[in-house]
Parts: sequence; structure tokens; C-alpha cells
Amino acid sequence: MKASTRLLTAAAFAIALPTAASAQTEINIVAFAPGFAWADMFGPSGTDKTDKLRAFEEATGITVNIEFADEETARQKVLLDLVNQTGTYDLVMLGSDGAVQTFSYAGYLEPLDDLLSTATEYFDPEAVYPQFLEANRVDGKLWALPYYSFGAGVIYRKDIFERYGIAEFPETTEALAGALDTIKAGLEKDGITDVYPLTMRGAPGEEPSLDLSGFVYAYAGYPAWFEGGATTPEEIRANDARPIFTGEFREGFEAFVEWSREYGPPGIATHTWVDMMNLYGAGQAVVLMPSAINGFAALGGTENTDVAEHTAFAPSPAGPSGLPVQSFWTFSVGVSAFSDNKEAAYKTLAFLTGEQAMQGFAETIGWPYSTFPAITRGEVLGEKWPAEMLDQIEASYEQADPHYFPYIPELNAFMERIGTAASEAISGSKTVDEALAELQAWAEERMERAGYYE
Amino acid sequence: MALSWRFWFLAPMVMALATVVLFPTVYLFWMSTQHWLVTDPQRFFVGTDNFQRLLAGADFWQALRVTAAYLVLSTVIMLGLGLGMALTFARAGRGWMRAIVVMPLVIPPVVAGFTWRFLLNGEIGFLGAWLLPAIGLELNPLAEPRAALVSVVIADVWSRTPFMFLILLAALQSIPRDFYEAARMDGANPFHEFFFITLPLLKGALFVAILFRIVDAINTFELIYVMTRGGPGRATQILSIFGWRTAFQELDFGQAAALGVVLLFICLAGAMLLFRRFVQRDLEAGA
Repeated sequence: MKASTRLLTAAAFAIALPTAASAQTEINIVAFAPGFAWADMFGPSGTDKTDKLRAFEEATGITVNIEFADEETARQKVLLDLVNQTGTYDLVMLGSDGAVQTFSYAGYLEPLDDLLSTATEYFDPEAVYPQFLEANRVDGKLWALPYYSFGAGVIYRKDIFERYGIAEFPETTEALAGALDTIKAGLEKDGITDVYPLTMRGAPGEEPSLDLSGFVYAYAGYPAWFEGGATTPEEIRANDARPIFTGEFREGFEAFVEWSREYGPPGIATHTWVDMMNLYGAGQAVVLMPSAINGFAALGGTENTDVAEHTAFAPSPAGPSGLPVQSFWTFSVGVSAFSDNKEAAYKTLAFLTGEQAMQGFAETIGWPYSTFPAITRGEVLGEKWPAEMLDQIEASYEQADPHYFPYIPELNAFMERIGTAASEAISGSKTVDEALAELQAWAEERMERAGYYE
Repeated sequence: MALSWRFWFLAPMVMALATVVLFPTVYLFWMSTQHWLVTDPQRFFVGTDNFQRLLAGADFWQALRVTAAYLVLSTVIMLGLGLGMALTFARAGRGWMRAIVVMPLVIPPVVAGFTWRFLLNGEIGFLGAWLLPAIGLELNPLAEPRAALVSVVIADVWSRTPFMFLILLAALQSIPRDFYEAARMDGANPFHEFFFITLPLLKGALFVAILFRIVDAINTFELIYVMTRGGPGRATQILSIFGWRTAFQELDFGQAAALGVVLLFICLAGAMLLFRRFVQRDLEAGA
């Protein structure tokens, strides 16, 4: 074969190959937690394709490409992709504690309401706990579908509670504080210095804000961030509602800080959910709250038999307002507004968050949380967890107010600032009043700058 | 004429530099003049507004103070240790010993950060939970504001001193032995040798080492992010962490770019100051 003929043949192959490949629509996703998220689709390494996924690809003509990164990197990839409007990722991972709100208001996400009817064979919105959809609804529109999600609750060591004479888990924050005092005194009396009554998260940044906002909600009885409990830009503008971080926000904030300082481990001001999980799993914490999911994560990997055998679940205690401490979150996925294949992207999203996918999550991970009642009540979770616990977890969804913090475009920045203020107060580098005064000044400036009070 | 055609051979390099250095720098300057909030679809020119807000905010000055403390503390310790080790190894060090000393340099800062984080952890760490309490130091190194800053300095010193050591060792070994022999014949003691031969001849290397150190310290990110995330609170939030927070957590790209410009000028000012102190005087004296 002549050189020119070989060259021509190679060129023809080069042109033909991508053409053949493009017969399939490609959908790109960015997410975190390989081997945890969609392990039934992408395998334990996150790089495989299981038969389940291949069957979907064959049935729909959609090729699904997933890119896993660590959580922070994945968040930044999503941010940069959306801001630059590249559409590299058709489906983007979002949290219901900032990203859904910020990106939907900025116009970076595709509203899903009109698409819901196009893939009901995969995702039936009527079959989901409504609170998980509500968490992804901003300005009346649905912007993302929930995957792994959770409500508030408490994971605790029943054996240690009983050892110090506490038969039932307290139902109010006041009673719980009393119980934690008893446990702290008991541990000190017994000379146990490496077990702490409580573990929560107090690292700087957005980490503590989800749970801390739950305390504020339980103490004030409403999302006490802005005057009158305004939670949307429209309400804030209409009522000229100013931030109240030095007002009614304070009581819940102070409780969170005091509990962390009084009952938490010494390093709590730098602790993330991973530290919470590790500490509980190692048997060094008696109570983990209000994001009980981190306790279930600890149970999965613990080698401590006491932890494995004596852990119990309790509903989140009610604050002085009578409302329970909240911690409600959805790991959601949305369709990029810059995707070239929005319908195919939605179909893939419906498949990845639908009942089949959540069934796969229950089978591979086995945590007692699911977005579908049919799975909570199903065989897999029913065999693994006590019915009473599943009832309580289901009840926690019903008691949840997904909008227990405001749904404003600036939510990400607020979460970041609130968490850092909490970390400062817990570490003692600022008093509660100093931290809140600074937060209040920043919030006023930020809201002014965003044009809320013109 | 001959010069002009030779110039074109440089063109690819000039263009490559312009692409990878000049364009991002100009873009950074442009961003710093924009109202660019991810939460606000409107993007428009605001002049120096981002700089004014940056300099008016307490966060910037707090981060600057932390950066200065971190920079001065770590540089002084590194310089002392690096020079001490270089002097020791220039005379007696063996190859395998040098390899051990240099080892931390090849460990990525993320790994170094995780290692130190686990060592210093107040609940489960060997140092934080066992050794320090055993010697009567009841403090949590990563959760108490001052101790946290000292902790990240220690980790940074452990990680970066070998670089200082290598630069100074190379410079020490390039000093001709004749100088010392001649000085000894004139009755100089080791003290004289160090201050009148070694130190003056190390000036250039010290300039390079300190300059690299300043840039390195100002750009430190992974180590602190992994160890403390800038916390507790803002106790270890140096300027680079503050910039990341502003851009990726608070989604204020305009102000983060303004901070980038300020950092650029801080680095330039530091470099010029060092250049004048260490190099220019010598050049003028030589001329």
C-alpha cells in the first residue's frame, strides 16, 4: 500500500469513528463519593459500568459518562462549568443547602417541572417523600432531583445512657442538656477522659451551618435569619426584612456553641462530618446529632463492638419553641441550563434518582434513609433495621421543614459565614456576641450590595 | 538587520509566555474591576470598588496579620534550621543522611497536611492526644487559635526546610576552601570565618532562598486547608485561604480577583525589597 493510500485510509477512519460514536447521545455527569454514590451503576471504584447501567444505555441510546472527584473539587468543577457556561457537564451535583438556590436564581439550571412527565418510567414524582422535592424547589419551580438524602435525628449509645441512669432518650433540648450534664459528670467520675458526651461539627466554613440552622429553627420557632422570618428574596424585599443575627438568631446559635464547648470533644472547632463519624465509630462519643446520617455512616465501618451493639436512634429533640432541631439535606442532581441534550440529560437524571437507583443504594449501602416510601418500607431496609426506627425516620421527614433556612441566592455565602462565626465562637477566639456582631455587619453589607433594600 | 531576523526565533517563546503569563494576569486585573457575583447575573465595571471593599473589611486585615505571622515565624525557623543543617552536612554529612533530610520535600503538601493533622489531633493523635498531655501540655493543638497557627508553622517547617537546606548547602559547597585556609593563616577563628567569609558569600543564595520562601508562604494553601481549613474560626486563615473562600464559597469572583492583584503586589514588593537588600548593593559595589 502506498504511503498516500495509507494516509487516506487513516483519515477516513479518523472521521468515521467519532461519527459512529455520536450515534449515542453522551451525557456527562460530575459527582463525588465513588463507590458510595451509584455503586450499583458504576461499581465500587466508580469507573465501571454495571449491567444495570448498560441496559439503560442500550434502551435509551444514551451513553452515561461520570466523573468523580472529592466533594470540594466536584463542587468547584460544577461552579466553574456553570459560571463559564460551557455545558461540559449535562448533569451537575448540587446540595440543597446553597447550590440549588444559588444556581437556580442565577439561571444556571434547567427547571424540571415540564420534564417530569417525560420519564415517569424511571422517576415518578408522586412516589417520593414530598419534602425531598420541596427542598429542591426554589421560587415555585423544581430545579433538581434528590438522590442520597436525610432528615434530622440522633444516634446515641444506649448502654452509656443506661449506665448513668437515663432510661429514655430526652424529647426536648432542655432535657437533653440535663442528660448530657449527667453523662459528663458520670464519665469524669469514672475517670473516662477519652469519651465525650456529644459530637457535632464546628469546622470553619459551611460545614456546621446545616445543623446550626436547625438549632436556630428549634429555638426561635422559625428560620430566624431575617425580620419576620422572611425566607425568599420577594419576602425580604417586600417587608424590607433586615438580618437578625444579633436578634432572635442568637439563642439557637449560642446553644449550638455552648453545647459544642461544654459537651463536645476538644477539637470540635475544626471537626467536619468525617470527624464526627470517626469519633462516634471509635466509641469516643455518646451522642451524635442532629445529622444522624453521620452516625449510620460510622456504624458501617466501626470495629468497636460496643458501638455496633448498643447504638440506638431517637427523634431529634424539640427546642423551646416546640419544633424539633432540624438537619435536612438532599444530595441532588440538576440539569445544566447549558446542556445541549436537556431531554436526554433529564432522562438520565430520572434513571439515576428513580426508585430503581434508590433500591440499588439501599442494597449496596444499606443506610435507613431513602427518598421513596416504598423502599423505606421494603424488604431490604426492613430486614436490616428495626421497624420502630424506620417509623421514626419517616416521621422525621414529615416533621421536617426543608425551608428551615432562607432560600436566597446568597445562601452559599451566608452558610460559609455562619459556620465560620460558629467555629470562632466555639474555639474561643471570639465571644458569641462578637462573632454575631461581625456576622450581622457582614450580612447587612452583603444584602445592601445585592440591592435588597433599594 | 541581522538582529531583527534573530529576534523572530524568540517569537514562539515570547508568545508562549504571553499566553500563559501575561493573559491570565491581564484577565485577573480585568476581573478585579468587575462586579462579578455568581449570585447576580449582572456583571459590570465597578472601577476600584472591589479593592475598597477588600481593604475596608476586617477579614483582609485579619488574614494579612495571620499571613505575616505565619511567614515570619516559618521563615525564621526554616532559615535557622536550613542553615544549621547545611553547615553540618557541608562538613560531615553522608549521602544517605542527606536523602533522609530531604525526604519531606518530596511528600506532597496534602499528604504532609493529613499526616500532621492526624498526629496533632486532640482526640486520637499521637502528639495531640498522648505525647503533649503526657508532658503536662493540656492543649488541643489544632482547635486552639494560637496553637493551631503554631501547628501549621511546624508542619510547614517540616515540609519546606529541606528546600532551604538544599539551596544553602549548594552555595556553601561552592565557596572555595582557599578562603578559609587563608583566613586561618591570618588567625581567624570559626566565628570570624562564619561572619566574614561564609555569610557574605551566602548572600546571593540567601536572597534566592528567602524570595522563594516568601512566595511559597504566601501561596501556601493545601497544607493549611487540609490541617485546619483556615480555622478554628479564622485563626489560620492566610490570604490564599481567604481568597479561595471569597471566590469559591462566597462566590464573589470580583473581590477574589482584587485580592489576587494585592497578593501580586505584595510578592513584587517583597522581591524588590530583597533584591535591593541583597543583590543591588553588591552589584553597585562590584561596578
